[in-house]
Amino acid sequence: LILLTPFIPFFSIPVVWTLTNVIHNLAMYVFLHTVKGTPFETPDQGKARLLTHWEQMDYGLQFTSSRKFLSISPIVLYLLASFYTKYDAAHFIINTASLLSVLLPKLPQFHGVRLFGINKY
Amino acid sequence: MATAAEQWVLVEMVQALYEAPAYHLILEGILILWIIRLLFSKTYKLQERSDLTVKEKEELIEEWQPEPLVPPISKDHPALNYNIVSGPPSHNIVVNGKKCVNFASFNFLGLLDNPRVKAAALASLKKYGVGTCGPRGFYGTFDVHLDLEDRLAKFMKTEEAIIYSYGFATIASAIPAYSKRGDIVFVDRAACFAIQKGLQASRSDIKLFKHNDMADLERLLKEQEMEDQKNPRKARVTRRFIVAEGLYMNTGTICPLPELVKLKYKYKARIFLEESLSFGVLGEHGRGVTEHFGISIDDIDLISANMENSLASIGGFCCGRSFVIDHQRLSGQGYCFSASLPPLLAAAAIEALNIMEENPGIFSVLKEKCKRIHKALQGISGLKVVGESLSPAFHLQLKDSTGSREKDVKLLQEIVNHCMDRSIALTQARYLEKEEKCLPPPSIRVVVTVEQTDEELERAARTIKEVAQAVLL
Repeated sequence: LILLTPFIPFFSIPVVWTLTNVIHNLAMYVFLHTVKGTPFETPDQGKARLLTHWEQMDYGLQFTSSRKFLSISPIVLYLLASFYTKYDAAHFIINTASLLSVLLPKLPQFHGVRLFGINKY
Repeated sequence: MATAAEQWVLVEMVQALYEAPAYHLILEGILILWIIRLLFSKTYKLQERSDLTVKEKEELIEEWQPEPLVPPISKDHPALNYNIVSGPPSHNIVVNGKKCVNFASFNFLGLLDNPRVKAAALASLKKYGVGTCGPRGFYGTFDVHLDLEDRLAKFMKTEEAIIYSYGFATIASAIPAYSKRGDIVFVDRAACFAIQKGLQASRSDIKLFKHNDMADLERLLKEQEMEDQKNPRKARVTRRFIVAEGLYMNTGTICPLPELVKLKYKYKARIFLEESLSFGVLGEHGRGVTEHFGISIDDIDLISANMENSLASIGGFCCGRSFVIDHQRLSGQGYCFSASLPPLLAAAAIEALNIMEENPGIFSVLKEKCKRIHKALQGISGLKVVGESLSPAFHLQLKDSTGSREKDVKLLQEIVNHCMDRSIALTQARYLEKEEKCLPPPSIRVVVTVEQTDEELERAARTIKEVAQAVLL
């Protein structure tokens, strides 16, 4: 799915890979770490109202298999992207920044942490 | 041609790998190590519960004594000696084989025994059968349900109405559909048990204010406002509700609705009105407490009532704006997850509504009777009348309590028994003593219906006076 983007625009291959990486990380950040609560009623009586999807996954258990998979997939994408961009410096900065923005919230130390009060309520 | 171009690009890529900058390769190495660490780390919970050692666990197990499955209760607990009613609980009720005048059932408009209502119910029984065997979403919606919802919405002059199949579950499902954990609800101390259960199910913060005391409510609202100013971002996300009953079942008083509406607009809270006793009783046409005070029904966000009192049917309804009621169709637990109202009861309710609309004179007749018996029961020695003169269901409480609730209950039970011997059927107001938040004092509940003649009211007042004199002095 992610690899379909190379065929649509007429950018060069490195730009395409960076774009794929950035869009994937952005989507993951929005859906897993920004949106809070549930779109439907859950049997936990609203305890998860202020928790993002990542924090709600597996009821707060860290390092379950789904969490591991979702942590590894952006790293794999990053490795592929950096291979295809021929380690260019500008691309490197963009890719690394987006990778860090997606990896940091997944650390167990960041469970429930809201930096600068953004997204608190 | 394409493969050659690809291979050439690949060769270039691999060449670039050898010329990669060092920091990048180091970073990649760190990431690969991170992947390996992730793959091999165990799952663990963030907050560990305090662990008990094996010895402590054994100690606790040894100490535990099982409680009996049925706790010992005295033989004259009211749940063990109940009165058996044969025949319908209409105007003349047959209790334990004795014919009495019914002053206990909430049959305000006397529609329980009405031949038109019975005929409509029988016709619908022949057409639809008895039950619906399914919730509303699962082939349980019949045209009578939609009809009844339409009629109720038109009668109450709101946009939409929704029917529940059990009166208690109406308000207990409506409140948790809107108020969730983290929201604030201001509720009266004398709210009925159904409201309390709904609030408990919603897990919201509950702030109780003294019964019908608007100054207390304003104080609580002001405190909440000050807290909101300290934390505006949290305040934007919390919803505030005021839950009040039109005619309180526990005290027989009417809520001061104009002041509530004023407070609502001042402090930006939403009002939920519970009109179980006041629907079909107050107001010129029986539309409830909003008509009684002359307030436009758009000011109230949700009106919920149960049809088991005036409409002599079973179930309840909520009415209000369209987008408010539509939300309950998916998130009202009593609507989605229990079977819908049997169509014969819905047809009976429609017929009852027809009767209510045809002769609006019965409401003033009912008010007259209430005022009359209220006056007649003043000045009984030892009992005081609790409730407004307009309310058809009021309480008689002991003027000076003996100190223990059990003795009070026994005294009142004696009065009730003596009245029953003289063929006036009364009942005590029953509460689940351990579950209520603010337990009202024990009392006898007297209900006035349209069917009771004036002389029966006089006789009842006289009987109660005599019995009270005999028992309490």
